[in-house]
Amino acid sequence: MSTLRAWLSDPNPASRRQARLGQAWLAWQRIRRNRLAMAGLVIVGILLLVAAFAPLIAPHDPLVQDLSRRLLPPGTPGNLLGTDDFGRDILSRIIYGARITLYIVALVAVTAPVIGLLIGTVAGYFGGWIDATLMRLTDIFLAFPRLILALALVAVLGPGIENAVLAIALTAWPPYARVARAETLTVRSSDYIAAIRLQGASAPRIIAGHVVPMCLPSVIIRVTLDMAGVILIAAGLGFLGLGVLPPTPEWGLMISSGRKYLFEQWWVATMPGLAIFIVSLGFNLLGDGLRDVLDPRSASR
Amino acid sequence: MALIEIENLSVTFRAKGQEVRAVRDVSLSVGAQESYGLVGESGSGKSTILRAICGMAPVTGGTIRIGGQPVPTPRGRAFSAQVQMVFQDPYASLHPRHTIDRTLSEPLAIHGIGDRDARVVQALTDVGLPPAFRFRYPHQLSGGQRQRVAIARALMLRPRILLLDEPTSALDASVQAEVLNLLNRLRAEQGLTFLMVSHDLAVIDHMCDRIMVLQHGRTVEEIAHADLAAARMTTAYARSLFEASADRMLDGPVEPAR
Amino acid sequence: MSLLEVKNLRVTFDTETGRVEAVRGVSFSLGHERLGIVGESGSGKTMTGRSVLRLVRPPGRIEADAMTFDGQDILHASEREMRALRGKRIGMVMQDPKYSLNPVMTVGRQLTEGLRLRDGLGRADATAKAIAALEAVQIRDPARVMEAYPHELSGGMGQRVMIAMMLIPEPELLIADEPTSALDVTVQAEVLAILDGLVRDRGMGLIFISHDLRLVARFCDRVLVMHKGLVVEEIEAAHLMEAQHPYTRGLLNCLPRIGGPRAPLPVLDRAGF
Repeated sequence: MSTLRAWLSDPNPASRRQARLGQAWLAWQRIRRNRLAMAGLVIVGILLLVAAFAPLIAPHDPLVQDLSRRLLPPGTPGNLLGTDDFGRDILSRIIYGARITLYIVALVAVTAPVIGLLIGTVAGYFGGWIDATLMRLTDIFLAFPRLILALALVAVLGPGIENAVLAIALTAWPPYARVARAETLTVRSSDYIAAIRLQGASAPRIIAGHVVPMCLPSVIIRVTLDMAGVILIAAGLGFLGLGVLPPTPEWGLMISSGRKYLFEQWWVATMPGLAIFIVSLGFNLLGDGLRDVLDPRSASR
Repeated sequence: MALIEIENLSVTFRAKGQEVRAVRDVSLSVGAQESYGLVGESGSGKSTILRAICGMAPVTGGTIRIGGQPVPTPRGRAFSAQVQMVFQDPYASLHPRHTIDRTLSEPLAIHGIGDRDARVVQALTDVGLPPAFRFRYPHQLSGGQRQRVAIARALMLRPRILLLDEPTSALDASVQAEVLNLLNRLRAEQGLTFLMVSHDLAVIDHMCDRIMVLQHGRTVEEIAHADLAAARMTTAYARSLFEASADRMLDGPVEPAR
Repeated sequence: MSLLEVKNLRVTFDTETGRVEAVRGVSFSLGHERLGIVGESGSGKTMTGRSVLRLVRPPGRIEADAMTFDGQDILHASEREMRALRGKRIGMVMQDPKYSLNPVMTVGRQLTEGLRLRDGLGRADATAKAIAALEAVQIRDPARVMEAYPHELSGGMGQRVMIAMMLIPEPELLIADEPTSALDVTVQAEVLAILDGLVRDRGMGLIFISHDLRLVARFCDRVLVMHKGLVVEEIEAAHLMEAQHPYTRGLLNCLPRIGGPRAPLPVLDRAGF
């Protein structure tokens, strides 16, 4: 253990891999000192574990209905968080719902930022009419409310979870493009870009190798902070019958089905709401922590 | 024959409808293996001339020839292999997320040159850095060490001409001495031609054979090294620069101004 | 009696990589004179200057055996008492006016704000006093400068405004941290002359922090040479050329001189101390 630590913190790494792992280790050390970020990381970690081991953890099948036990309050023996209007166990549905939430979040997280980064860095690096064209395109996407745009896309593509994800990703990239472009504009005029340009590097090489690594931190931070919104849009689509379809235990869908009982049986909507709240909080805390760790301006410290 | 020839160079920046003429009708020529200095205060256009040579400033008039050939636009790889630049701020001129190894081997990759490991290690040795520094990141180096890396990077392609933009003004005095010595040694070893910019007349005097004094984008005076030391300048502005130079201040009686 | 007394000052930072000692036991006393603190980056000269105003941000910590200003203990003074000192009795000029002036306020407003809030002067009185201060730092058209925003000023002009701002409350001690490093040499000389005249006319104490040994020697009465958080040598400026410590000698010799030899410059032997 101590030899590994020495290897990681070696000021004179012997290979590229050691240098990179050493930097990652340093970042980890920094994030460990940030208590809120660690709280966020723990929440996201629990979400991952719960999703992975859902069948082992869940006390009931999330889909089995038992109308004799409908709308039981939290604390009922056997139904820790109560049951919904079909007598399904809310705790089990939340546990299985974590899988769907994670699936949506993961798919959006690998598609939207990539599109956004590409468009943003290209626009920022070249400037001129390329910038104008790409940014007006971005503006068009930004001009529509996200949910409406996602709705239109799902209406064309057809309902279902993959299409919902695709619709969300296609509506989620403009902010990333904006962030990446802003970052590129500051990086573009820096001396190290001038130096590599002077070495005869081509534009794709500069963008991919020199500009993107500088934009990545702010985009990653933005992605983690956006995750709460993604979960909510997915829920909204499900509610309108265009995303995840019932009886799949999706958190947003659960809230909308509990809406009818909000005053008498408050727990039906509140429990999945709390789940969304906690997971969103987790992503937000993590995003704030990552900002402190990844921000290039703090790297020199 | 002159290696660098600049004739009536003008550079005009346009921003928000305003025109700023940063360089006006400047002509100079630098012979092979010569060291030429540009001196002036901020806004004199001295750095802009270097940037114009590299195609990083809007040239609005005049010609730039390297080795008798007008420089192409865009500058292209052949130009990169001949002319390289060292920037003022070593904290800003190295990519913060690239290791020294990557910074040094990238020019080789761009130009398709093999044997990169050996050449990177050789380059580090040449600039007086231990090879163990190879996989460090810039933030793990001091300012002087970073500037050495920047010099090593500029020399990776074995250029004939090195443009030096205030290469030591961001460094401590003791580190400045080390870097200036390094540059002089490399110039002798590799037969380099220097075009150096500085606000510090003493540095330029130490490094350069001929010196051009610039003010507001115009040439004020061209002075040979011997004439500068003997204070044989012909213009009032060059003389005022000479008098205000920090190293003059201890000569004569130590007496506070006024 | 001395104006400022500092005994065994230490500034430490607790960081991820361990404890960093920026200043390791610096002592000096200052009367109504000009004291230069010289050192290279990382020598602790800036931290020493900031410690006097207790302007070291966490995780930095200031410790000292004693630190008194005009008889008042500033090591244990409350934050409230320090605020009463800062600006009013001890002024500070930083290196770059670009970062010290508020970019969205006109110079005039920044100059008069303190006068109106602290001293309760009326608009006309405050403006008159601010214009007088600008004239004192030899700004030719103070009325125009009063209306300008900081970005409309040149570096030398901005630095003069900073000095004027610091001088309005007529402090007894001025701490100038590299006040001319960002300026051109000809402007540098002018700003120094202004500073010098003000120190003489008003009998202020001055701590002049710089990396430039020769500049400090020309401008100050006494020089502290700092290296790695310690004072390696304290010397009368007039006798700087007879400095004994190898570090001081090294700093003096490593600068190129006009008309000097073309041989490699002497380099500091860092292993020597």
